[in-house]
Amino acid sequence: MLFHVNTSSGVPIYLQIEGQVKHAVAAGALKQGDALLSVRKLAAELRVNPNTVARAYQNLESQGLIRTVPGGGTYVADCQPGLLKSEKVRRLRPLARQLAVEGAQLRLTTEEVVKLLEGEMNGLGERR
Amino acid sequence: MMELAISSQGLEKIYPQVRALDGLNLSVPRGAVYGFLGRNGAGKTTTIKTLLGLVRPSGGAAQVLGLDIRKDHLAILERTGFVSETKILFESLSARQLIRFNRGYFPKWSDALAERYAGLFEIPMDRPFGKLSLGNRTKVCHLLALSQGADLLLLDDPTSGLDPVVTDLLMQVLIEDHVNEGRTVFFSSHHLSEVEKIAEWIGIIEAGKLLLEARLEDIRQNFRLVTVSGNSLPALTGPNLISQKRAEKFHRFLVSRQADEFVAKLRGEGATVLEISSVNLGEVFLGLAGKELPCMPGSAGTTRATA
Repeated sequence: MLFHVNTSSGVPIYLQIEGQVKHAVAAGALKQGDALLSVRKLAAELRVNPNTVARAYQNLESQGLIRTVPGGGTYVADCQPGLLKSEKVRRLRPLARQLAVEGAQLRLTTEEVVKLLEGEMNGLGERR
Repeated sequence: MMELAISSQGLEKIYPQVRALDGLNLSVPRGAVYGFLGRNGAGKTTTIKTLLGLVRPSGGAAQVLGLDIRKDHLAILERTGFVSETKILFESLSARQLIRFNRGYFPKWSDALAERYAGLFEIPMDRPFGKLSLGNRTKVCHLLALSQGADLLLLDDPTSGLDPVVTDLLMQVLIEDHVNEGRTVFFSSHHLSEVEKIAEWIGIIEAGKLLLEARLEDIRQNFRLVTVSGNSLPALTGPNLISQKRAEKFHRFLVSRQADEFVAKLRGEGATVLEISSVNLGEVFLGLAGKELPCMPGSAGTTRATA
């Protein structure tokens, strides 16, 4: 996997890593059961502090996206086991709200915002 | 209480013309990557040389890997990889000869690592050190320091003179071979984006005093830059106020925690709050070391994690 970090973006590095793993899973570049690089390897690859990568992995694990086998690597988890639809919606709502607020501020219509979102969803590819 | 790789208490170095270190209190946890920041002449190099026992302190105390810098400096040198600011070694010796000359001093020297770095950094191994470019000299210094098997690396401006490709390689091997092995890396730098990526802790020194010592994560989560407008605000102080900049009508405050309380206090004084934003390392550095923001809470300016 090709991850990258950008220190001038203002987004904390662990969030950038989290976001890129999520994107790779959503886009099908990473599939269930695929192995992720170890914390140490990814840290060396990205030239970032290993604690930063460990933190991103911990967050992803607590969200059920990846699972770590003690002493045996880190893998993309089976499709969000046991996660209720309502829970998925709850997690997404803050982002939806932010999109709505920004859209309204830029005076975009509801249709325009929805169309934008549709484009992004379609861009993720055929896996979904 | 976390175990410390470097600790100093009121460390002083007084030269005839200048107090180079003026009561420096450092706490560098074992296994940490610690970025040591400061303007030119702030005391970074004097700090590093004093910790190694290469400069005798005028006052105070310090321990490196649990060893006293006054009494045990040979043992400290044996266990510490050091890259000096000036990158000076014997000019007539080639890298290959320098390796032979150096390896005997270090019980944990690794020929395998030396070979790896020679290849990775593309070092001309047989040309005299004095005939090498600044970049190649710097690489040789790194090869020698990183092959010692040292528990602690003290790197004084390690990337100066290196091109971006070698800088990137150096960061990679620092993480791969040293940080991942639990070794402590203490380095001074002016490249804040580099520091933000690799460091877990930062210290900012100015005029021989440590103005701030904090986890980068703490800065991201808790530090806030508060911009307000208001006439005739009274002088503000407080343990959480790190720096302030006052213009005629607009004021900017950098607070280290409990920004809400501070903002409430400002509102109480009749200020209009324009913005409360999180900060990056550059803003903290400019706020503290830059000439524009004079407020210094003195020795209370350090924020130590209690972990």
